[in-house]
Amino acid sequence: MTASVVRVPDLDLESFAARAEKWLTESVPARWRESRGRLSNEESDELRRDWDRKLWQGGYSGLSIPAEYGGCALGLAEEVVFHVLAGKAQAPDGFTRVGKTLVAPMLIKSGTAEQKAKYLPPLMRGDEVWCQGFSEPEAGSDLANIQTRARRVEGGYLLSGRKTWTSFAQHADWCFVLAQTQPDAPRYRNLSMFLVGMHQPGITLSDIKQISGAVHFAETRFEDVFVADSDRVGEDGEGWKVAMRVLGDERGGVETASRYVEIRSDVDLLIRTVGDRPALTARLRELDVRAELLRWQLAKVVDREVGDPERLLRSASVLKVMWSELWQDVTRFGLEVSPAADRDHWQYQYLEARAASIYSGTNEIQRNILSERVLGLPR
Amino acid sequence: MNETVHTMSTQPSELGDAAAEGVGELLRRGTKGAPIATYAEGEPPISWQTISDGGWDVFGVLDDGEGASLRDLVELARAWGHGCVQQPLVTTLLAKRHSAAAAAHAGPVTIALPLPGGAAPYVPFGQVPGVVLATGLGRGSDELVPVPEGTPETLAISSRGIQADVHTELAAVVAREIAVTLAAAATGMAERLLADTLAFVKEREQFGKPIGSFQAVKHQLADAAIDAELAETAVIWGAERPDEAFRGALFAVDRCIDIAETAIQAQGGLGFTWEVGLHFPLRQMILTRDVVNALEVEHA
Ligand SMILES: Cc1cc2nc3c(=O)[nH]c(=O)nc-3n(C[C@H](O)[C@H](O)[C@H](O)COP(=O)(O)OP(=O)(O)OC[C@H]3O[C@@H](n4cnc5c(N)ncnc54)[C@H](O)[C@@H]3O)c2cc1C
Repeated sequence: MTASVVRVPDLDLESFAARAEKWLTESVPARWRESRGRLSNEESDELRRDWDRKLWQGGYSGLSIPAEYGGCALGLAEEVVFHVLAGKAQAPDGFTRVGKTLVAPMLIKSGTAEQKAKYLPPLMRGDEVWCQGFSEPEAGSDLANIQTRARRVEGGYLLSGRKTWTSFAQHADWCFVLAQTQPDAPRYRNLSMFLVGMHQPGITLSDIKQISGAVHFAETRFEDVFVADSDRVGEDGEGWKVAMRVLGDERGGVETASRYVEIRSDVDLLIRTVGDRPALTARLRELDVRAELLRWQLAKVVDREVGDPERLLRSASVLKVMWSELWQDVTRFGLEVSPAADRDHWQYQYLEARAASIYSGTNEIQRNILSERVLGLPR
Repeated sequence: MNETVHTMSTQPSELGDAAAEGVGELLRRGTKGAPIATYAEGEPPISWQTISDGGWDVFGVLDDGEGASLRDLVELARAWGHGCVQQPLVTTLLAKRHSAAAAAHAGPVTIALPLPGGAAPYVPFGQVPGVVLATGLGRGSDELVPVPEGTPETLAISSRGIQADVHTELAAVVAREIAVTLAAAATGMAERLLADTLAFVKEREQFGKPIGSFQAVKHQLADAAIDAELAETAVIWGAERPDEAFRGALFAVDRCIDIAETAIQAQGGLGFTWEVGLHFPLRQMILTRDVVNALEVEHA
């Protein structure tokens, strides 16, 4: 039995929460809160971009990023609290999620001093948007099977290949790309990580429409796109290592916090609209309990597991499976029982929720991780 | 629904941590890791004397309201559950916490617990000589009486209980503590079953390799690991939020039963045998579910 982890003193966290709640109430644009579903794409994009800048101006950008890189130097507990409060205040989801949860930790852990100085400040200010160029037609769950090539040339590389399912690609200024640099090296040692500007010749985007009708990701083609040596993160051949270091990060907790708010509000909608139908009580109660347990599971992670990589690996997979399958069950139930007035909402939610068990490592992959790397079962 | 993690606490106090560690040590010394089946029906591997010498039966006693919290009891009960040792520690602990008569008594104490559907109440360890019954916890008369005659309870056999026409009056807070603590013990049992099953699937070979290398088996065990996390979280929730005690306890016990079912499936024909004994904890869990259910009906 390990000694109990010292908690962030409640007083501090509570005053942080009070301050954040006040700021959120004052800062979330009324236009967004009231008419979010009816905005044009242009207006919606503008409000979301604006939100990233407001976070910076308000002092809430990069909550757990060290101060020297423009962050707030707080911890996971504050991140989680802030995301829950932001969800409750119906704050917009900005465009900097990939940048803040993946790129910033990656650069802090593996980037050069120049890379940090060049990329982190505009990211923190909300001026630059990042997307993630990992998945390819032949490299999904088997991410190491990446075919995109970066050929050595004077002073850098020429990048060619096809990335797919790239979220935020339409809005992005930069993409962090995993590509093959050493075709003859063994698996896992043949890749390098690059920071690639999205506004240059040789890059073409094709929108991909999702089952819900929304367009949140794209196919991204690179044709002989130049990347300077100074934009490689880590050594040539170390791309896999660099990637794994970020993917195993604490992002699971922050993502779960946002999801909790959405799921909670969906379950509350169900309680309001069908809570008085006795035939539905048992299922509704089960979903309600699972939603609350999601929050308590998260509190358990915050209390115990910060800074313990082994436990984090376990809890990231547990949280991912928990929230994604709960969200899917909630939306399916909503679809089945909702009154006519809410049908559009549930149809959209239901279709969108199908993605949750696919991205960030499918739930089958999560179960592989749990059984092989956490429970120690043989491969 | 205005709280976020800043008003939530999931950790036991140092008391609870130390108790869990102590009970873990007690079980290690007492059972030497022997399979549950080797003692589930015979002599308990740890005597009552050893338990009371360690002071574990009075761990929950409150002095002017000060002492172990329900969260701490959860930690102790979970650790205790790992051993599946058939001694009335949980009932004694709760009786001594809520009855002066029980606290003043040196031996083990039991409680008459309701069962659903109007079945005669269940008195765990009612067949064991020397165990006395509390008449009221936090309500009614605070006395200890001999356990009356009854019929042996046939499901949770390792608890050597009876069903009898007898009643322990329970204050609502006590009913909640009983539900959560019994569920916590079940959670410990489920964690034990999961650990034993993991060891089994790493050893047992079919088709020339360990069955634990088959993905169908792996994913069932991954789900069991998630269920174990959820069960623990649910009893913590029930301990920290009195209004949720029954919902939390019931949800936890259901996940424990899921884990026990997986354990049986993953151990194949052996898992289905009386000998191997996976049914002993499963039987406890099912009875616990009945008790929690009935407590909720009476006290929610
Ligand atoms: C909404 C959304 C946004 C995304 N955003 C991005 C992004 O911004 N950047 C990016 O790089 N990628 C992104 N992705 C891609 C995502 O990471 C991949 O879809 C995911 O890793 C699965 O790969 P795949 O689609 O090729 O499916 P496949 O790997 O082909 O999987 C198909 C099915 O086979 C199963 N399977 C595969 N291997 C195994 C195995 N070993 N054991 C058991 N089952 C297995 C899978 O679980 C799945 O059910 C996004 C995906 C979605 C849906």
